[in-house]
Amino acid sequence: MAVIEVRGLTKRFGPVRAVDDLSFGVDGGTVTGFLGPNGAGKTTTLRMLLGLVKPDAGTATINGRPYTELPDRPHHVGAVLEASGIHPGRTARNHLRVRAAAGRISPGRVDEVLELVDLTRAAHRRAGGFSLGMRQRLALAAALHGDPEILILDEPANGLDPEGVRWLRDLLRGLASQGRTVLVSSHLLAEVAQIADSVLILDRGRLITHSPLADLMAGTQQTVRVRTPRPEELKAALTADGATARVAADRLEVSGTTPERVGTLAAGLSIPVFEMTTQATDLEDMFFTLTAATAGKEALA
Amino acid sequence: MITAIRAELLKIRTTPLAAALLALAAGLNGLVAAVTAARAGSGGSLTVPPLDTTAGLRMVLTSGGFGLILAAVLGVMVASGEFRHHTATDTYLDQPNRARVLAAKAAAAAAAGLVLGLAATAATTGTGLVFTTARGYPLALPAATIARYAAGVIVASGLLAAIGVGVGSLIRNQIGAVIALLFWAFGIEQIIGGLSRSTAAYLPYTAAATLAGARSGNGMPQVPAGLTPLPAPAAAALLTATCVLIAVIAAATTVQRDIT
Repeated sequence: MAVIEVRGLTKRFGPVRAVDDLSFGVDGGTVTGFLGPNGAGKTTTLRMLLGLVKPDAGTATINGRPYTELPDRPHHVGAVLEASGIHPGRTARNHLRVRAAAGRISPGRVDEVLELVDLTRAAHRRAGGFSLGMRQRLALAAALHGDPEILILDEPANGLDPEGVRWLRDLLRGLASQGRTVLVSSHLLAEVAQIADSVLILDRGRLITHSPLADLMAGTQQTVRVRTPRPEELKAALTADGATARVAADRLEVSGTTPERVGTLAAGLSIPVFEMTTQATDLEDMFFTLTAATAGKEALA
Repeated sequence: MITAIRAELLKIRTTPLAAALLALAAGLNGLVAAVTAARAGSGGSLTVPPLDTTAGLRMVLTSGGFGLILAAVLGVMVASGEFRHHTATDTYLDQPNRARVLAAKAAAAAAAGLVLGLAATAATTGTGLVFTTARGYPLALPAATIARYAAGVIVASGLLAAIGVGVGSLIRNQIGAVIALLFWAFGIEQIIGGLSRSTAAYLPYTAAATLAGARSGNGMPQVPAGLTPLPAPAAAALLTATCVLIAVIAAATTVQRDIT
């Protein structure tokens, strides 16, 4: 059952349609990657979902209600939207005390969540001196305060070093394994590929695809590279067989077939093969292809 | 509502700003009172009557205009600081009812303003009394009058801090809001007061100054000469109404804007 439901969501900023008739649902207990290049409308969508930005049209609900009408919000939803949104003069611990007071959360949770994000030692330092990574951790601590069933995170890996990215991944994986729903945005597919069950890809405010990650992976194409002294002959045979081949020097790049089929055809024609490798088009390439396709259409329109 | 007010009070207590403004108000007020008292009875161009006269003692005890304007600045910071530091996002995630947040901020700032007013008036009154005693003069004003001035400063500070929250909500740019506030208090009100003495008493900052005991020709701001001040309850009511009016306008306009 969809715990997050977005229907026909639209937002214009002046002449720009930041979000354009967007609809999707996020099922409970899943990790969903919310992807798109910078400026695709991810942040605006999340802000509309959380009642911070008013949509021009459409609805966004969490557990069937708009965020602003949810009872006991911190226990339903934890959100991290802006790492910079921490008063530089306030200590980490006081920042969390303020959030706890505002969310009616027991002050005892403050030290627990500080521990959870590894900031206990920095608890009494002012946030103004924090690195971007520490601010992200602090923001995550505040989101986890109410032990929420749904986490909405906007680019949480921004500013984290590789170790921090791994830490975040492990944390999110742990939270997901407890049955929580996670909606995490990123402009980098690789950041979410290892934890997401499904991905939503957004470009220019429109949904390009929403599918399980496994399906996306299955859709990625395999290229077979062949090194042979007679590339033109092999190309002709492969083309006749229904594959697509391209000659580059003494190499052939073949798609739409398998290495087994290429080898069999070459043997049948007695064409020597010095080397054969397969290369999967990775998700990142596909992400670019998907988003570039809409950019092209936009340019033509 | 109580939750929102508690959170706002905690916000004020956990940054150095409020304490700094309080120290500044007390320090400046003490300094101004000391300079005024030292000059009392010495003649010169800006005459301060001797401290053993009613006029002289009053001039020293009501010289605390800085504290009043700093209370208003505190209110501005409480509201516009949320935008300067991008903390409005979290604030509205925790409490999506934005009018309630505004009301809570006004209440919390008023409480902080009362404390600031207390510190400011303690500095002014203490300094005035020290000078008077040191010179061996009897008090030229009854204790009840002195207490009334002090109470006026405290109440006016609280109300001006609440007004500052409205101003800071209307003008989200912190520096812009502070400049607008100073321009209003020391520019517009002075001009209107100079043009129409009967209107001057009804201007909020002048009303706050007269509530704090300031009379014509002294203190900051300059209260226009010959002005008949509003009775204290009327001045307090005027300030409260100003606060509500600005807050209602802000709640219906700027406060509803998208937080991007």
